[in-house]
Amino acid sequence: MEKDFIIAGFGGQGVLLAGEVLANGFMLDNKQVTWYPSYGAEMRGGTVNCTVVCADEEVSAVQKSTADCIVVLNQASFDRFTSHVKKGGTIIVNSSLAKIEKLRNDINYVFAPITDLAQEKLGNIKMSNILALGIVSKVSKIISTQTLEKALENVIPAHRKHLIPKNIEALKLGYEYDLLPV
Amino acid sequence: MAVETITNKKVLMKGNYAIANAAVMSGCQCYFGYPITPQSEIGEFMSGKMQELGRGYVSAESELAAINMVMGACSTGVKAMTSSSSCAVSLMQEALSYACSDELPVVLVSVMRGGPGLGNIYPSQGDYIQSTRGGGNGDYRTLVLAPSTVQECFDLTQKAFYLAHKYKNPTILLADGLLGQMMEPLEFKEYPYPEVDNSSWCLTGAKGRDGRIIRSYAPLADNQCKFLDRLFAKYKLIEENETEWEEQNTKDADILLVSFGSTARNVRTAAKICREKGLKVGTLRPITLFPFPNKRLQELAQSVKKIISVEVNMGQMVDDIRLAVNGKVPVELINKGVGTPPSPEEIVSRIEELI
Repeated sequence: MEKDFIIAGFGGQGVLLAGEVLANGFMLDNKQVTWYPSYGAEMRGGTVNCTVVCADEEVSAVQKSTADCIVVLNQASFDRFTSHVKKGGTIIVNSSLAKIEKLRNDINYVFAPITDLAQEKLGNIKMSNILALGIVSKVSKIISTQTLEKALENVIPAHRKHLIPKNIEALKLGYEYDLLPV
Repeated sequence: MAVETITNKKVLMKGNYAIANAAVMSGCQCYFGYPITPQSEIGEFMSGKMQELGRGYVSAESELAAINMVMGACSTGVKAMTSSSSCAVSLMQEALSYACSDELPVVLVSVMRGGPGLGNIYPSQGDYIQSTRGGGNGDYRTLVLAPSTVQECFDLTQKAFYLAHKYKNPTILLADGLLGQMMEPLEFKEYPYPEVDNSSWCLTGAKGRDGRIIRSYAPLADNQCKFLDRLFAKYKLIEENETEWEEQNTKDADILLVSFGSTARNVRTAAKICREKGLKVGTLRPITLFPFPNKRLQELAQSVKKIISVEVNMGQMVDDIRLAVNGKVPVELINKGVGTPPSPEEIVSRIEELI
């Protein structure tokens, strides 16, 4: 079994970090895993994405053109990645920054106002990325929030450890948020 | 994110940080470098870690300066390295020729990006020829190790330090932007090789002994011939002792796919798909590019019907394969100029076109 994930958004939204937490989670679950970023001329405000592949056996390819689950945190990424979702796959859309619109009928759409939730419930829009991972956990059913909590400990450096409780709160909020069928 | 502490458990890490950590754990005493994408994390990590450990770190004013600083440090017998990418490795070619002639254990990490010229920053395997042949003057060879996973980025960096000192010869770790930038679980290992005694040649101050000179200059023609014979006897020894490769399902294979580095990952998957389709496909991955597994390819040329080289360049290793099999079997190329390797599905469909 192999599953591909893409997380995409503006530079500065924590897209690469969210991917790193997810990949660490798969490692903690003893899966084979790779993480690959779009790298280069990206900057704050530009678009950025990363691909995470988890597999029971050897990962078949690090870079994938399509994925089972794609998280898009802004409109530009929604526009770009809708066509990259595998048939029957899922796209998780940050409806705070992207229009609620279903252009395909062979994939599952999950719309959630991720940025607004982070601002209103956590008081910090920087938590959007980890909140989105909570939704990934619930939708994909492939990784638990408990594992992702442990993954956070791996990724967050020593001098930022005080931020872990707030991030765990974000994970739970994402997981428990009632998904809006649209 | 750089992992600062060294533990025995698995950590998720970028290839660049794996290389840097391996260098530190190999006892690298001096790092000299100049930043360039996609390998800048190596210098970034070293700038903090080397200072913390009381070792040498210099952010050099240019790549020429960096590689010459490595030569200077190596002449005193310490482990020293630099790291760079494609167009900047070009600037180091003169020094590599000198370092081969001076027989200095220079370690160079080359993380390939697109070329020629400034090219772009995306992954590439376009420096196969630059690494295995070199752009310096005269007859010389550098050892070249090509990792395929983040774990191998770590393991082969340690090996590069060992081989460089064992053979007193520049050794290149040839990675690419994909390996440098991707993350994968990695297990740290202590340096597994013996320390090489270099007391007979290195420059440590002449107190109590005659002075030593390390130079690449032989004014008498005969001396230079003798020197080259000795140098090439060493390369022959390296070929006998150090040729390393990995192969899968070659026993009954009709088609042999040859690839190195990050491309070999997709090629293995492609071979698996081919087998499911009933095609008898095997794979061979050279781990050392010099020395190249010529003998093994000659043996396999007796049993396979076709060899296909898969590369992210316009066809470079394919020349070495053709030289190795010397017309015994047809050798084809599946390639892509620059970027991440062709997908397994694309490789399979191109194999089907070729047969």
